[in-house]
Amino acid sequence: MFFCFNLILEIMSEMGVALELLGVGLITVFVILALVVVLGTLIIRFVNKFFGEEIKHLPKSSGNAIVAIGSKKLAAIVSAVSTITKGTGRVTNIEKN
Amino acid sequence: MGILENLYKMTAIQDIIGNPGYLLMLAIGSFLLYLGIRKQYEPLLLVPIAFGVILANLPGGSMGVVAAEFVDLGGGHSKNLLDIAHDYGIMNFLYYALIKTGFLPPIIFMGIGALTDFGPMLRNLKLAFFGAAAQLGIFIVIIVAVLLGFTLKEAASLGIIGGADGPTAIYTTIKLAPHLLGPIAIAAYSYMALVPVIIPLVVKYTCSEKELRINMKEQDKKYPSKLVIKNMKAVKIAFPIVLGIVVSIFVPSSVPLLGMLLFGNLLKEIGTSVARLSEAATGSILNTATIFLGLTVGATMTAEVFLDFKTIMIIVGGFLAFAISIFGGIMAVKLTNLFSKKKINPLIGATGLSAVPMASRVANEIGLKYDSSNHLLQYCMSSNISGVIGSAVAAGVLISFLQ
Repeated sequence: MFFCFNLILEIMSEMGVALELLGVGLITVFVILALVVVLGTLIIRFVNKFFGEEIKHLPKSSGNAIVAIGSKKLAAIVSAVSTITKGTGRVTNIEKN
Repeated sequence: MGILENLYKMTAIQDIIGNPGYLLMLAIGSFLLYLGIRKQYEPLLLVPIAFGVILANLPGGSMGVVAAEFVDLGGGHSKNLLDIAHDYGIMNFLYYALIKTGFLPPIIFMGIGALTDFGPMLRNLKLAFFGAAAQLGIFIVIIVAVLLGFTLKEAASLGIIGGADGPTAIYTTIKLAPHLLGPIAIAAYSYMALVPVIIPLVVKYTCSEKELRINMKEQDKKYPSKLVIKNMKAVKIAFPIVLGIVVSIFVPSSVPLLGMLLFGNLLKEIGTSVARLSEAATGSILNTATIFLGLTVGATMTAEVFLDFKTIMIIVGGFLAFAISIFGGIMAVKLTNLFSKKKINPLIGATGLSAVPMASRVANEIGLKYDSSNHLLQYCMSSNISGVIGSAVAAGVLISFLQ
């Protein structure tokens, strides 16, 4: 009987901590993700103000060949070259054989 | 006759007859291998874990991980690694060097960071909140587990399965209840593999067709975001640096996981100048860490440890944690929709789990079933990625509270 009483007391005490964890844990996660949102917004505003637009390395227009290829295909080729060359390569001319 | 007797003693047959639990564990290991190879359930981790289970349960092989009390010398001192290797074999050397020290999960997080793109989250920052609501299952299951007789540390290790993040579950369990590492790792990775089954199940009972038809692109057109990102590359580079510093001030115990995740991500975003480091983090280092993590975690599952009532409770509790986490995310979206003009598809809440990108892919497929033009992937990825941060923070809270 005494053992059971002690066990119940122990579980009640651990339940208290578990409930505290529920409150503290969820609040902490919410606060941190709120910080993610706030920091993200601040970083975006800061970068927009001081760094300006991202320079995209599009190929120089070299006549009809590129126009004939179409913007979607062109973007795919630029992206593929950039991936394969790890950003070092540039598309300067595209020709159909 | 003597020769035959000696031969018999040399084999493992007498051990297997003496403890049929070995056979059961070999069957479990084989079944896990089947799931990994044939069913493709998280094969990168399930195959090494399953083979680790088999190695650990080959009697006389000395590949099973021994309990911490065997290497404890008292007075806060433990055997050194050479003694451990000599006394208990190479698997224990690997376990105590790489797992018990908490070394591998942060290394794996570094690789995950280098594979993660924070872009979708930065484009839809407000959706990141749902990654917090989807941690509900972790804390609810802790309460349930305590009521069922688990200690607080064991309950926390069980609850963290609800974060749907394997390395986080392993790291937390190493810190709080290392004796449960095997079953918890198995439960965590099995349920992550079952995300395509669990998310639709919870969505089916909690979301109406009208809610699932909410088209996010149309909502974006009706209520466009005021924040335009002009230079995504610069934002992506600054984000992990600033976030890492700020989070480490608030929840220092989450730094080993989150710090390494953000470091890996920074390597990815810097680009060409550190491409070799990024490649190493996502390639050779991540793969090597995965092999050793899987094998050693599997090797903790010896018959004596695994065949226990607590293992069944962990399997059930893990599912509960997972389902409640998905439910929490969905309910948070529903609550937001009550007060917001811009409606959000509840599937985005369901992906607040860490299981990236599988949860997002599954939610996207469900959304497309109801509206073939409703591509939710980018939106789901936002809450999905924030779920990784959320579960690492939750783990940090548990460790700092209970360790």
